Amino acid sequence: MRLVSATVYVLRIPFLTSVRHSLAGRTWSDSVIVRVRDADGAEGFGEAAPRPYVTGETPADVVEHLARVLWPAVRGTPEPDLRAPVDLEAVERLVPDGGAEVGRHHAARAALELAIVDWALRRRGASAADLLPPRRSQVVYGGVISAESPDSAARQARWARLAGLRQVKVKVGVGDDVARVRAVREVLDPDVVVRVDANGAWTPAEALATMARLVPWGVATVEQPIPPGSPEVLARVRAESPLPLIADESVVTPADADALIAAGAVDGVNVRVSKCGGFARSVAIARRAAAAGLEVQVGSHVGETAVLAAAGRHLAAGLETTAFVEGSYGTLLLVEDVSDDGLRFGHRGEAPLLTGPGWGVRVRVDRLRRHAQAVVELAA
Amino acid sequence: MTVRERTEALFEKQVAELTASREFRALESGTAAPADYDRFLADVVRTHLKATEYVAFLCALAPPATSESRLRNLLEEVHHPGLLRQLAVGAGLGDRLPDLEAQAADDLRRLVVEPVLYRTLGEVGLAAFCEVVAFEFMLARQAGRIGAFLASHRGLGPVALRWWTEHADVDVQHAAEGLEDLETYARYYDLADEDGLAIAELTLRENVFLRRYFRDRPLGEAPAMPGVVGSTPCAS
Repeated sequence: MRLVSATVYVLRIPFLTSVRHSLAGRTWSDSVIVRVRDADGAEGFGEAAPRPYVTGETPADVVEHLARVLWPAVRGTPEPDLRAPVDLEAVERLVPDGGAEVGRHHAARAALELAIVDWALRRRGASAADLLPPRRSQVVYGGVISAESPDSAARQARWARLAGLRQVKVKVGVGDDVARVRAVREVLDPDVVVRVDANGAWTPAEALATMARLVPWGVATVEQPIPPGSPEVLARVRAESPLPLIADESVVTPADADALIAAGAVDGVNVRVSKCGGFARSVAIARRAAAAGLEVQVGSHVGETAVLAAAGRHLAAGLETTAFVEGSYGTLLLVEDVSDDGLRFGHRGEAPLLTGPGWGVRVRVDRLRRHAQAVVELAA
Repeated sequence: MTVRERTEALFEKQVAELTASREFRALESGTAAPADYDRFLADVVRTHLKATEYVAFLCALAPPATSESRLRNLLEEVHHPGLLRQLAVGAGLGDRLPDLEAQAADDLRRLVVEPVLYRTLGEVGLAAFCEVVAFEFMLARQAGRIGAFLASHRGLGPVALRWWTEHADVDVQHAAEGLEDLETYARYYDLADEDGLAIAELTLRENVFLRRYFRDRPLGEAPAMPGVVGSTPCAS
């Protein structure tokens, strides 16, 4: 059976509350959902979370790249053999890089890869656990506190405390970071792990100065203190840093991971399925990092819907080690998710493994239509 | 401001948002299409058909000091599904009742299987209680008004409108009991004021009335996306 058609839904799902970090403020989800189908009507869903400040992509770029490059390359693709044990390198080859455009269009690539995998697994009634068998019985998520005033951050921390979250990441690099972290720390129990994420907001000097001021507030790690660029510069910051560093925007490709490892630039990496160009590449990056002794964080883009959340759940469940996991906010953040399958985490951030066919979520096409700013049929 | 005052302020804000909404104003002014009235009525029926089950759950959790008022509330609630069916039939939506019954049951089922966010049943109950009292608060103030526009613009008679008139007959003071019961509940289960308020804020972070009564309304004010225009077939 071969793929015969694809539809792209460019979504804008409002948030219940705004989310702010040093690079952007956001009150709605910018997800792009790809739906592929074969002649039997079997279908699969994938999702992109394009971010201009991460992979240089906008939702319009994703649609354009899918229509011009990726879909023509996979249209007519026969059903891949995804029986366990699955060769993840073969999964990675399901979607081409786009010739000279290698390294870009990661979100578009991720969406199409996820959709094809979902389709192929669903055809057999198999779960994505066949790709990466789970190594734990549940996934435990942390929370994220937006870069707001100390009062607002304290309110968010109270919600996190009520939800019993054991790990919280505070967005910094905006306003009085120390006051915000202090407000959060004062609300949470002392044994809750507090991390910060600057999204590259600081210069090296600012990073070192601010991190020194954050030390008394029991911060466990600092994510992306300076903008992505030279791993050597990041390595120099790390050498003087009082706190462990995690790379996020600096690690988009496996080559980025290799460069950071070679330079000794960080203590960990944040892997996100959309940012990293798909599930298979995310696994590859995480494994390279882990093999080099780095911590692995499975992250998410703010406002991901159930499709990326499900892929992230499988990734977090199946990796050999994960230090932190983020995402699966579902209807805690989105006014409405694209599935009724209840992806959001529960108390203590705990969430069950997904065992249903494909990524394990049943996408509601009526919801896609309801939230779509554009619906684009790719040429058959 | 006390926790009760802050909770009441949250309720008032939600009611104000409901009555100021484009959808509500169109229904009230008679400018809405007949199908909009039908959708609204179907959403109301779906929202409240299982209210007895929710109220019974809260009865089970009610502290001794509020058990009497909660039981009275449950007794009042027991015959409301019948009035809702009467409303649907009177509005000519009787053929949709089986679907609405199934949807209401599924809403309840999903609530039960969804992972629980809170640590204790007391906290879960407070969130549910908060939403139920929010509806009591709103209906005590707006049911008469809604019944009136359904009579004038949708042509519903007194029999069909009985669910609304019964809620309109509940005076505001009676509905205020709900707020007192909320406060008593939080105190009885040793929920700190700030935690109780945080649960109320989380429960009401979205307008519960708009969400349930206007399920198909356009959501949010997200601006158009640059570079993405309309729904178009796209040549490769």
